[in-house]
Amino acid sequence: MSIQNILDVEFGTELPVFEPDTTLANVGAFARAVGWGGPRFESHEGARKEGFPGALVPGIMGMGFLVSAIHRWAPTGTVEHIDGVFRAPMIADTPAIISAVVTDIDEDEGLVELDMTVKNTKDETRVFGTARLRLPKA
Amino acid sequence: MVDIEELKKQFLNAEFDSKNFELDAEKLLVVAQTSGETRAEFTDITHADFQATPAFLCSLASGRHLPIDFPSLGGIPMDGGKAVECFKPIRPGQPITGKSHLHDIYDKQGRSGRMIFIVVRMEIFDAQEVLLAISDSRLVIREKPTA
Repeated sequence: MSIQNILDVEFGTELPVFEPDTTLANVGAFARAVGWGGPRFESHEGARKEGFPGALVPGIMGMGFLVSAIHRWAPTGTVEHIDGVFRAPMIADTPAIISAVVTDIDEDEGLVELDMTVKNTKDETRVFGTARLRLPKA
Repeated sequence: MVDIEELKKQFLNAEFDSKNFELDAEKLLVVAQTSGETRAEFTDITHADFQATPAFLCSLASGRHLPIDFPSLGGIPMDGGKAVECFKPIRPGQPITGKSHLHDIYDKQGRSGRMIFIVVRMEIFDAQEVLLAISDSRLVIREKPTA
């Protein structure tokens, strides 16, 4: 269900799961656009030479996935604050599963708090965090 | 062992870096698209409200992370996380300035030793000194044990 205003939101609601594009080509394009191009984010072989298990997905790209998941759920909302903890590396060409749950609602202010995670297919948390979303009041 | 309170007294809340930026529309678009963004404000350059995504704003804080006279703590700083608070949209071509200071320093004791966390805060202003956004970077340093 797409959320249009604060009255549509229920405490404890889980956002639809979002599986973003973590292919090496997509990750490399992101990295180059933010000025972080290089083997660490664009080449599995190059990243392994730096001691990583494979090309990394930048942590801030994980935050971008989280924001996109929110916008898909609430197209009229504005993400005012997002805080992500980079717990373990995300690896390109491996699935990332974005999930989120509503943890607080302030109907007077039109604010929603969310807890969010990025996990891999082994259910291991890669990134977790919180977000504050402002929605129309009605 | 480094005295955290002393580090705080010496370094917190003193601006140590200032950078000017003008964001490129095509790069903002690529970051939005590759992140899976669906909102036209982020994916349509011709949209009247086209603006940078929060993730893009986090990228502005890369580069020199610590004051030049900050002591070496032994380990290489790792990126422990980011946070961004958005107050106003930031648009391509708009002159902006990012001013950085250390916002917090704290430690946690782990099984393998002490970890020191440093929060570097970049405040992003427009040409009229209006605060547009705040981007926090959490650096984690595993303290080198003393011999």
